[in-house]
Amino acid sequence: METHDDNLLLPFEDTTSSRRSFLRTVGFGIASAAMAGCSRGPVRYVVPSLAPSPEILPGRAYWIATTCGACSAGCGVLAKCRDGRPIKLEGNRAHPASLGGLCAVGQASVLSLYDSMRLDGARRGGASASFEDCDRELTRIFAELERSGGRVRLLTGSVHSPSTRAAIARFVARFADGRHVSYDPLPASATLTAYELLFGRRLLPSPQFERARTILAFDADFLGTWISPVEFGAAYTRGRELAPGAKFRHIQLESRLSLTGSRADERVLLAPWETAPALAGLCAELERLAGLPSRLAQLGATPRSERIAALAHEVWASRGASLVLCGIDELESQLLCAYANELLGNHGATLDLARPSQRRLGDERALGELAAELDAGSVDALVIAGVNPAYDLGGRLALARAKHVIVASEALDETAVAAGWVCPAPHALEAWDDGEPREGLFVLTQPTVPALRSTRSLRASLARWSGDARSDRDLVRAHWRSEIFPRSGESDFDLFFERALQAGFVELEPRARRSLAFRPDALAQLAPRAQSPAPGALALVLYAKVGLLDGRHAHNPWLQELSDPVTKIAWDNYACLAPTTAATLGIGEGDVVRVHTEQGAIELPAHLQSGQHEGVVAVALGYGRVGTGRFARVGPHWLDAQPTVASDGVVGVHAGPLVVWGSAGRSFAGAPARLDRLARNVSLACTQDYHSLELPAALASHGHEVRDAVRSTSHAEHAADPHAVARSKHPVADQDLWPDDHRGERRWGMTIDLARCTGCSACVIACQAENNVPVVGKDEVLRHREMSWIRIDRYYQGEGEELRTLHQPMLCQHCAHAPCESVCPVLATVHSAEGLNQQIYNRCVGTRYCSNTCPYKVRRFNWFDYPHEDALANQALNPDVTVRSRGVMEKCSFCVQRIQEAKARASVEGRALADGDVQLACQQSCPANAIVFGDLENPSSRVSASASDPRAYTLLEELNVQPSIRYLAHVHSGRSTKKESGHGG
Amino acid sequence: MAAELEVLAHAPTRAPNPHAPSRPSGCAVPSEEPLIGGGKTLTQVTRDVCAPLERRPTFAWWAALCAALAMLLFGVWAVGYQTATGIGTWGLNRTVGWGFDITNFVFWVGIGHAGTLISAVLLLFRQKWRTSINRSAEAMTIFAVLCAALFPVIHMGRPWLAFWVFPYPNARGSLWINWRSALLWDVFAISTYFTISLLFWYVGLIPDLATLRDRARGWRKKLFGWLSFGWDGSGRTWSRYEMACMLLASLATPLVVSVHSVVSTDFATSVVPGWHTTVLPPYFVIGAVFSGFAMVLTLMLIARRVMRFEDYITVRHIHAMCKVLVFTGSIVGLAYATELFTAWYSGNEYEMFAFENRLHGPMAWAYWIMVSCNVFVPQLLWLRRVRGSMVAIFVISLLVNVGMWFERFVIIVVSLQRDFLPSSWSSYCPTLVEFGAMVGAFGLFFTLFLLFCRFLPMISMFEVKTVLAPAHPKEHA
Repeated sequence: METHDDNLLLPFEDTTSSRRSFLRTVGFGIASAAMAGCSRGPVRYVVPSLAPSPEILPGRAYWIATTCGACSAGCGVLAKCRDGRPIKLEGNRAHPASLGGLCAVGQASVLSLYDSMRLDGARRGGASASFEDCDRELTRIFAELERSGGRVRLLTGSVHSPSTRAAIARFVARFADGRHVSYDPLPASATLTAYELLFGRRLLPSPQFERARTILAFDADFLGTWISPVEFGAAYTRGRELAPGAKFRHIQLESRLSLTGSRADERVLLAPWETAPALAGLCAELERLAGLPSRLAQLGATPRSERIAALAHEVWASRGASLVLCGIDELESQLLCAYANELLGNHGATLDLARPSQRRLGDERALGELAAELDAGSVDALVIAGVNPAYDLGGRLALARAKHVIVASEALDETAVAAGWVCPAPHALEAWDDGEPREGLFVLTQPTVPALRSTRSLRASLARWSGDARSDRDLVRAHWRSEIFPRSGESDFDLFFERALQAGFVELEPRARRSLAFRPDALAQLAPRAQSPAPGALALVLYAKVGLLDGRHAHNPWLQELSDPVTKIAWDNYACLAPTTAATLGIGEGDVVRVHTEQGAIELPAHLQSGQHEGVVAVALGYGRVGTGRFARVGPHWLDAQPTVASDGVVGVHAGPLVVWGSAGRSFAGAPARLDRLARNVSLACTQDYHSLELPAALASHGHEVRDAVRSTSHAEHAADPHAVARSKHPVADQDLWPDDHRGERRWGMTIDLARCTGCSACVIACQAENNVPVVGKDEVLRHREMSWIRIDRYYQGEGEELRTLHQPMLCQHCAHAPCESVCPVLATVHSAEGLNQQIYNRCVGTRYCSNTCPYKVRRFNWFDYPHEDALANQALNPDVTVRSRGVMEKCSFCVQRIQEAKARASVEGRALADGDVQLACQQSCPANAIVFGDLENPSSRVSASASDPRAYTLLEELNVQPSIRYLAHVHSGRSTKKESGHGG
Repeated sequence: MAAELEVLAHAPTRAPNPHAPSRPSGCAVPSEEPLIGGGKTLTQVTRDVCAPLERRPTFAWWAALCAALAMLLFGVWAVGYQTATGIGTWGLNRTVGWGFDITNFVFWVGIGHAGTLISAVLLLFRQKWRTSINRSAEAMTIFAVLCAALFPVIHMGRPWLAFWVFPYPNARGSLWINWRSALLWDVFAISTYFTISLLFWYVGLIPDLATLRDRARGWRKKLFGWLSFGWDGSGRTWSRYEMACMLLASLATPLVVSVHSVVSTDFATSVVPGWHTTVLPPYFVIGAVFSGFAMVLTLMLIARRVMRFEDYITVRHIHAMCKVLVFTGSIVGLAYATELFTAWYSGNEYEMFAFENRLHGPMAWAYWIMVSCNVFVPQLLWLRRVRGSMVAIFVISLLVNVGMWFERFVIIVVSLQRDFLPSSWSSYCPTLVEFGAMVGAFGLFFTLFLLFCRFLPMISMFEVKTVLAPAHPKEHA
């Protein structure tokens, strides 16, 4: 047999080679050449993480450890590459900060790599130019400025990359009047300033959520948008779980319902003007409890004083294991917040000052000075990189007054379009970079694909303009060799760097510094403030939204179509109003309102938001970006299709111009605003029509007012009877009409822990990336035809301060008795021997009967052929998953391609499939580890252990469809919900 | 006299002695009044029924045909556009997967029922009054089933693969159909029903086609000769013919019950609250008879006026159908009440909510249209005054049709709209393309019916002759 095979493979060894074998060899040769030609070649010097050989096999995935570049959090990722290009990002389990999670924005950033509107090549005066010409001219200009002592300013976002910072420092040092100014579109400058005043060093402490037992968060959306949500989400969930019994308490004090607030055990509604006084009250009460003399007597009355005092007692009880956080970038609040933490002894315990975060380094005062310099027209050269001030700062910087403006941006954005020179920056997945998101944690970014566009990083550009022609990789490597390697204590740099590249990060001891001493003098300067705005006026709150954040990802259709975790609205921003306020003003959902402030006015639709302070109107930032007009025809084109983009050509409305500029920096909350209702109405694309588990009062029959889809209980109740929450209302007799004789060796199953799930929607985008889920546009979302295979159902209970929010990830339940399977006339959906409910696209004729009978409504129909014309964007498609054509049904497959791949791998390695070999996309991405997947038949699997938790229940158990997914009931430390859920039984 | 003889030659066995006084029977229609008015002779019957076929079409017919064709064209555009573009051109969504499509399907299947009931069941029960209307009722059945069959095909996401629902040997491995799926049962129920109805109708036409052949000249004579299979009117032919009719009627009778029962299982066997209920099969059957009779009434009231058939479709026929309408309408009312009671008595929260939602939910208007039109409006027919007015009966028959359409709409859309998880609750609003498909189906139906009126005898001549009153005994003396 073997000889025969050899003959087949080596026809030329046979001297009497026939025509047939010759043709076979030629055919094989051409096919292999074509296969090799179709793949992108690997990037030189890149070290793939898990596959030690750099060989790329067509059709075989390999992984490269790198760092997510979607925001400044610097989460570790493994880029899954196929045929020489990245197709999916997954969190790096080994990464000390992100711990394997990756947020929706990070997941979506792979699509931005294939954005056809990214800049390609340098631009000079609005026209394409070569890098060489620009460099020549710029080198000359900078050399001249160096000689003449001109004023050179470098404006960036927070740069925590050590090599870039070194490059910036070198560049700025060339000029007599050179300065580096950084700002964050979503700033934390006041926190830095507060610590500078109180501790003598500008730093942003790293909160240690897993050590906290009581968290008081003042408008800090740390699970959604604040600084580093993946890291915080993971730590928060762990902390929640580690706390014995009811010992963990999270109280959110906020003016609007944030994602974090939706997870809080208790919420207190505080208007923006009440935050600082409330913090002052908290500190005063803590001072009293600590037996210290009051330093804050001058600050006067506290709003909600009883409630605040009670909270002070609660947080005092867990001093040293508590956290007071404030997300409002305002010096007074931040000083008080830091003081409260100091009083509670949290510094050094739950707030790490030794390894401060470097994710926010911006300085608002410096920004203000730059604005003044620009206004005076005294800036000779302004280099802008990584930020989009013309958009972020609402046009407050007189950029045109600088003599030379050089912009390094990825796209021709609002800033780049007016710049004299544009030296485009690369996407993080095609670039070399490093970072230090928190002191001592060094991360590396390496290209996963040869540059798709002609770009250059700021670091390389600055070096080039100073006459240093080294490549980006060499610059990063050189910096690591000289600055970071010596701190590692290792002897071989090459080995050190290689290992760091393979892991994606390296953790070193932070630089030893003298310990920080608390200097309370700054507190004495705090002065009382006006307590509330003019009567009748609302306070405007500008907030960042999960997905869109500051708007830098507005060109990403996945994020635009991501239904907001709280409002469930996609594709637009809106003015959130408390329902009572809206009723008083006569404003209904979608009515267009004009929001006036002293800064100006914007017009946008209103949204009635439960759980919001009555005196507040909240508007999301990040919308109205230039270039979002490209989404005008994003969805299917047919005769009644409505455009996704409003008549003004952009998605949403830019709220940035309403930001208030003060002496201490920008203020995003509290500006007095007035609302005018306009005679227009805009439909907001909400993926959910009904927002409560409570049935409409007129339709509910007695005793059945509440559906129990999402079960939650308080710690007290859970401790009294752990099984109560999951106990079935209608136990189903465990018998079938006929025996189940098709039982396979395993049954794939999943558990979803509702106590862990924060609703952050990372899983939604992870699934979209993994399974080629199309984007359908606003009109289709409005028609309730979004295609996502996993969605997060969000339900409200109660209203105002008492509002409870429940999140429930919903995907195909892979029922053992699936109603969808029995109704398909052509057997296009069938059950596998391993318990998967399989959808066979090429057999489906599209009767939609299966979708009608699905009790969970998780099936998605291809109403149209969704556009796939963008060949570049198609590079992000997962080659392992079919792109579905119109007329067929689709739904969650439990990532069957991953199951198959894991099986194949195990079989090649000659072993049985082990628990944990299969990681689903949603599960992998979840920062909170809420999803466990595995074999339910295997009693020792993690999923079996999780499914036997007393909190585990199956959704709609009474239908006896026997789902493969168990939900673990939420347990909160709020007040008992007996009253609310009691009549659900 | 020759014509007289010829007519007699065609109806020897069905009415061995048409002039004998009618037998007293237990049938519902009292026999005091003659079934056919105007003291028609056998010749006159032939002449009257053939008249519309042999004269030039009237302006009214042309106008009606143009209107029907226009509707059909609109439908052709709508279906063509939808097939080329996608089901997304309909107003359906992730929650409501069926809307106008299956509503129209069930509606048209229901319409078809009266034809089978009249021609098969009433034949078996020897209801003589059926003879004037059975031909057109059967034609209506066939056209309605055609319209009905259209919808399951076009409602598919990939209608070009519709043949996959048939169990045919194929080269795609072991691919087969799913016998557990009620949709598949539909395929067989509808195709069986269509086949039997078509056969029954055609067999019933043969003697009349022979009459047409005898009256025609030229190519028409050839055509009708071919279509009537060389009918010779002999005693043996009649005897075999009678046997065939009886057999087909016996075959068709169970279909009256089975077809709509099977259609109801699309809903009854699924898990959706509001669908999953055992009352649905009888409920659907009686609804179908009810809506079918209403449609027959609508058509007959128009036909007797336009085609001048007042003597053949008499007030007595109309009244008989009105009584069927009151009777079936009351049963439909009972079915609605039963449904509500079952939901309440079940104590099942989802069932109870589904019906609360029908009664008071966002689409309650559809439910109340349904109840008003189907339960309350037909009760007016108890009044002699109402029954005396053809206009009133016409309006009532139309309203019943509207009500029965809404019944299907309520069952399908309102049940789907809000089921188990409130997060997925949705609504439904049809698009122009969906209206197009619906209008097109009516266009198809009326086009076919108008062509039928023009090219085939609308009234079964040979059967009517069997029930002629002995008005002119002298002629035969």
